[in-house]
This record gives sequence, C-alpha cells and structure tokens, in this order.
Amino acid sequence: MSKRRVVITGMGTINPLGHDVEATWAALLHGRSGITPIDIFDASTFPTTFAAQVKDFELADHIPDADRHEAAGRHAKFALAATRQAWTQSQLADWPELNLARVGIYLGCGEGRLDFEKLSNLVCLARINGKFDATQWFEMAWKTMEVHEEVEQESNMVAAHVAAELNICGPAFNVLTACAASTQAIGEATRKIRHRQADVVVTGGAHSMIHASGLTGFNRLTALSTRNDEIETASRPFDMTRDGFVLGEGASILIIEDYHQARSRGATILAEIIGYGASADAFRITDQDPEGYGAAIAMRAAMADAAVTPDMIDYISAHGTGTKQNDQVETLAVKSAFGEHAAKVPISSVKSMLGHLIAAAGATELITCILALRDQVLPPTAHYKVPDPDCDLDYIPNKPRKAKVDFAMSNSMGFGGQNNTLIVTHCR
Amino acid sequence: MPDRRVAITGLGVISSAGVGIEPFWQSLVAGEPTIGPITLFDASHYPSSVAGEVRNFSARDYVPKHYRKAVKVMARDIELAVAAADRAFRDAGITTRGIDGEMDIDPKRLGCNVGAGLINCELDELSAAANSSMRDGQFDIKVWGREGINNLTPLWLLKYLPNMLSCHVTIIHGAEGPSNCITCGDASAHLSVGESAGYVTDDIVDVVIAGGAESKLNPLGLLRQALMNRLCTGPVDSNVCRPFDTEHCGTVLGEGGGLLVLENMDHATARNGRIYAEIIGSGAACDPAGINVTAPTVGNMHLAVANALADAGVSADDVDLIVAHGTGVAAEDDMEAEAWQKALGDRATQVLAFAVTGAIGSLFAGAGGAELAAAVMALHTQIVPPTCSFVGPADPCRLNLAAQPRRCDITTAVSCSFTVGGQSAAVVLKRVES
Repeated sequence: MSKRRVVITGMGTINPLGHDVEATWAALLHGRSGITPIDIFDASTFPTTFAAQVKDFELADHIPDADRHEAAGRHAKFALAATRQAWTQSQLADWPELNLARVGIYLGCGEGRLDFEKLSNLVCLARINGKFDATQWFEMAWKTMEVHEEVEQESNMVAAHVAAELNICGPAFNVLTACAASTQAIGEATRKIRHRQADVVVTGGAHSMIHASGLTGFNRLTALSTRNDEIETASRPFDMTRDGFVLGEGASILIIEDYHQARSRGATILAEIIGYGASADAFRITDQDPEGYGAAIAMRAAMADAAVTPDMIDYISAHGTGTKQNDQVETLAVKSAFGEHAAKVPISSVKSMLGHLIAAAGATELITCILALRDQVLPPTAHYKVPDPDCDLDYIPNKPRKAKVDFAMSNSMGFGGQNNTLIVTHCR
Repeated sequence: MPDRRVAITGLGVISSAGVGIEPFWQSLVAGEPTIGPITLFDASHYPSSVAGEVRNFSARDYVPKHYRKAVKVMARDIELAVAAADRAFRDAGITTRGIDGEMDIDPKRLGCNVGAGLINCELDELSAAANSSMRDGQFDIKVWGREGINNLTPLWLLKYLPNMLSCHVTIIHGAEGPSNCITCGDASAHLSVGESAGYVTDDIVDVVIAGGAESKLNPLGLLRQALMNRLCTGPVDSNVCRPFDTEHCGTVLGEGGGLLVLENMDHATARNGRIYAEIIGSGAACDPAGINVTAPTVGNMHLAVANALADAGVSADDVDLIVAHGTGVAAEDDMEAEAWQKALGDRATQVLAFAVTGAIGSLFAGAGGAELAAAVMALHTQIVPPTCSFVGPADPCRLNLAAQPRRCDITTAVSCSFTVGGQSAAVVLKRVES
C-alpha cells in the first residue's frame, strides 16, 4: 500500500516569547530575547541565574475547564494550552466525520518537576550517624509527599492530559530523547499517518527544566551560559563568544493529518511534512561525534525520505544550542550532508532568542520553519557579533531575511547522540 | 515490493530470575516465584518489603572492558538495559562492536528503541551531597547553588536521563540507525517493539533492538507505588503477587526488563540465524480517563488489541495464546480480563493464557520486554508456563490461566500491557517452525 501524504493543519505554542504562534513569530522577527532572571525558584547563587521563562501563564486563559488539570505539571499545562490552539486552528472539532479512535497522540515531552528543595531537605533530615537512612526517610516522606505531585512527574502524563482534553482514545506515545524529543515525536507521528495507523495525530512536545535539579544538572555539566551580567544576549549560537546554552521552557503542538482527509474536509493546510531522518552517534554520552557524523546521517536520511537534494533546501533551522561543541559539530555535519551547497544555505538558531526548550525545542523550531514558508522570511540568529572560524556558514545574523523558501529543514540533536531531522514544504 | 517480515532472533531478559532468557524461562515454567525480601535498601518498614530483585548483579560483567568506567554514570535502570542488550545480541548470534570481534551487520541499519521510566534520583547520593547545604535544620538553596552543587559528580544529570538506556546501548554496540526512547510506563516496551517492527518492514533497518527496562526498586519508587495504593501490603512471602487470583491484593515491585532482537526475516535467514517467532502486528490506544491517576485504568486496552489484530490481519478466532499484563492490582486485573473479553469475545476465556508478574513482580517500562520474551518462548517451545501464585480465578477474571505448565499446539499469541496514565499497547506474534 502506498504511503499517505502528511499535512499540518493546526499549530499552537506557549514559550518564553509568546503565548501563541503569531506573537512568537513577531518577537522572533524583531530579534527579541525571552531571557530574564530566574524567578520560579531562588537561583541567585547558582553559576547561572537566568533563563528563558514562560511569563504570566494561566491555563484558565486558554481552556474552559482548567480545573480538571489542576494537578498537571507546569509543562503539561503549557501543552494543554498549545494543544487547544492547534486543535482550534485545525477545525477538526467541527468535522462531523471525526473518529476519536483514529486520532493519535505522539509527544516528545519531558518529565515533570521534582520538588528538589523538599526532597533535599528530607534526605538530609533522614541521616542517622552520618548516613542516609531509608527507614527514617520513608517515615517523613510518607507524611509529606502527595500522590499527584509524584505521579505527574512521569513523562507519559502529558499525553494523558491531552487525551483527556480532546477525549482521544487512539494510539498514544511519548518519547523522551532529550533535546531531540519533539522532533523525533513529529517524525514518528508522520509515520503513523503515512502507514494508516492513525488519521490525525496530536504531536509536538513540552518541557520545563527551569527548576533546581535541572539547573544543578546542567550547571554541573557546564553546558549553560554563565553570562550573568549580560543575560539578554547570553544565548549566542555560532558566535565566537558563545559560552553555553540558556535554559528555556514551553510547549509546541501540531495537528497533522492525512492529506486527502484534510483536502476533502476543506481544511486550511499550513504545510506538508515530507522528510524525516533519525540516527545515533554511537559515540559517547558526554560528547557529540566531533565530525558530526551522526547528525549528517539524519540530515541525509531526511533528504532521501523527502526525495530532495541539498540544493533544494532553502533554510535550515539549526539545533544551534550555543555550546562550543554543538555549533561547531553541527556546522561540520551540515558541510558533510550538503557538500558544496553548505555555504549557500541560510541557517539560523532561534534558540538565540527563545532559549533551549529541551524536549519542546524541536516542535517550536518546526513551527518557525512553517512560518518561514508562509511569509517567505527567515528568522535570524540574534546576538551574533564575532564570527568563529570554526562556524563559517551563513547564520542569518541579527536581522530577518526575505527569501524564497520552498523547503525548510529542522535539526535536533539530543544529549547521548540521538539525532533527528524533519523537512517541510508548501502543500501543493 | 514484497512485504518484509519481522523475525525475532534474540532475547535478552533480566529479572529476579537472573540474567538471560534461560533462567527466566526455566523459573517461569517451573512456576517458582523469585520474589523475596528487598536487600537493596532497608525496606522492612515500608508498606511492602518484598520484591523481584535482581541479585548479585554487576553491570561491569556485561560491558566491554574499555567501557567499564562508564558504568559509574549509569543509574540502575541503565545498567539493567545494558545487560539485557548484551544478552540479546549474544543470543541472536550477532557480533556488534560490544561483542568481541568485527561487527557483522551494517551499523547504519542497526536501530535501537529502549523503553524507559522516570529514573529515580539516588537518595543516598543526594543526601551526602546536600547535607552541607543544611542551615538551621533546613536545606538552603542559596548555599546549595553557591557550594553544594559541586558535591555532585559533573555527569550527575546524565545518570537520570531516560534516553540514556538507548544511548549507552547504541554506543556499546555501535548502532548508528534510528534510536528512540519511549516513556509510557508499563506500555513502553510493547510500544517500542511495535514501532521497531515498523522500521524493519519499512526497510529502514535490518536489525533493531527493542523493549524496555526499569527499576523502581528504590525508596522513591516504592513510596510512589505505595502512595498510589497499587502495592500488595499483605503477607510477606514470595507468593504475594497473584494476578487474577481470588487473593489478588496488589502488585509487587520487580526490576529489569527485556530486549528483543528484531530482524528482517530475509536477513535472518541469509545469515542462518535462529528464528524464534515472527511479529505480525501491533496496536495501541489510550484512555481519556487516564488523568485520574488514583483510579484504575487499562488504557482502553481492548482497542489496542483490536488495532493489533487488524494490523496483523488476523481475527479473534486465530488467537491461541493470551499473555496478560496481570499486575495483581485487583481492579486492574478485573478491568484487564474484561478488556480481553471485549477484544476477543468468548475466545478470551477459552484460549490458553498466562502472566509473568507472579514470578518476577512488576517491571514497569521493562514489563513488556519480559512478557514478549515469554510469549516468544511459549510459541517456540510450545509450552505455556503457569501463572505463578495463581490458584483460582477472581470472580470476573475468566481467563484460562493455570498453576501448571501446559503443552500446547499454538500458532498466534497476543501480548498486551497498559499503564497508569492510560496508554496501552499490544503485539501479535506468530510461531515460526524450525
């Protein structure tokens, strides 16, 4: 049986720059930074004191029955709001033939927030004779820990909330391949539609690691920018002075469906997903392959899947985290996958403005690719000042650029070496 | 283009029965539960103090010499997955980078998909690191941010990322194909295997290792299950987990999982690989009521089974064996039995059935891996193992379970799992006669 074509008919996002797609896009084209001092918890003494936080968010502003999701994690609430935006735009709810058993969920969501201060307090109070005592800990924890707060940390709970919100009972998945998760989820969701395992899939991702254990973990890995005196411009992908990524948070959700179904129900088609590639570096858990070998495999696989050649790609939305290693490796990977066309294809990293939404990054970046197709304009890499001889491609510095955009590629690479690439185009 | 078939050519199970498929299958057929007192920490005052614990285990025995240092940054979940992968590849007779010798398959066409759970923070490690940040009997985040964090190993975070199960496996074995990590609780491994089979039929990979592993056998994991009221808090003996039995009173923690080597049938045949069985379909579903985490759900499991049967192109009448998830939580067992009946009609009460939880406890993200491996072995050996600790069925649980192993003549097996949160997944397996 031939593979079905897969189109996007709805998009929604909650992120540090906006609470919907259009506000986000306007902010990105203006080169705005979503970075502020962290105020979700007291991070004032950490090596990094800032992040790109979602601001002034209330779930009740986005969905009518927010109370039933009261126990949900912060990221799950972002996901619910983004889902509602995307679902509304798709107008699937108004389609009488909609079969909710044929609607799937394929998310790349992170874990919920661990109350690190509470847990740290308990594990320290539970020391006997200078050692942690599991019995003592249990007796205190049993009285203070709350079941919903604990269970909502499991990353499959976002899918549970989305299913409840839309009353979906089709196949449901969550993948958590670190920073590549939502790109991978969208790629896999595309396969579900292609292979007739669902007719509609709610896909994308949500994550917030702006909490004490997330900041602790990334600071210990020395992966974060520590530019505490210049926080607005701290995220500097591909710039010589880059010193790490900036934690962000948020959710982006897309509604994807079978092309013929979308056509026959008269839906507005936003774009078509034509290519997906995945690979593993199989190198080290701490480092990317220095030559960008695995990332190049994913890009090549996506182009083969899309039946396009490197010269046809008009824009690459880079993973572009702003760490020394990532940007250099990604540059090498693009050169390897694109050959002589590498120098000609414009590349940018919107993480320069949004920060790094970790599991939710890829879906958010794919939305910017779809908007680039729509408006024929490319978002910039902000805060780019000093060229790095190791990053010598066209990174669309600081200002958006008018361009003819027919094919856009989005890259994501996870800690541990999982690489994913998607390609979108106009639907014709 | 002819449809590609998916062979299962390697099994790697790690559970309280031991490491590898042999001890697991032997103890399963013998009907001997391997559940006992928890020794990993002092659980004597916890609501449940027995578990299916993997004893005498060192992950160092299952990684190549040059990789032993990396074991230090593996949470137990990762260690268990790495051991299962080693056993699975060896069982398949495939030489990877992690098995001595030259890789004998194309690394770019070797995929990996290991289901994982929420990896719990090691509390003794956190306690030792955080203790110097206590001020006036309270943890002080300011002190922690300034000094305390340096007490943690720089790679601390990497121990707890769920994708690290897959990542370590890809690195050890040199798997450069698509690598994924599904995190849907107990449904993870069935979902992983279903997705991975699709990569074989789509000709994206020749070989893929799939399944899942998890250990909730730590203070935080045990406490969370107790908070959810899912644990049997009754008598402390090895027979406490009694799926579908009149005395079912909750589940018991286990740890470990199963990884299966899936392979293009032609590829397996060409290299004279042993073919245990064939995957002919998979399906999944979810339950919008899954957000009520303290209310039992089986994730609309009947839809997952129906989707899997449709995918396999078989009907309920073709099913010869049910491998039930059987958590032992009374309400879940009841709902599961009902779901099988919804999916298969009267056939659900007639065909042979078994569950492995009575033997090894609940493995969560690893559960489906062990369940599918057991299903494969049942087809391969034509023996249906008993359901450990099962004596007589609880009233609505009319599955054909037995306390004794049964010889059989079966062709098609269905295995299904479901999870807190409301996802479910099923896989249909078919006998391959050698």
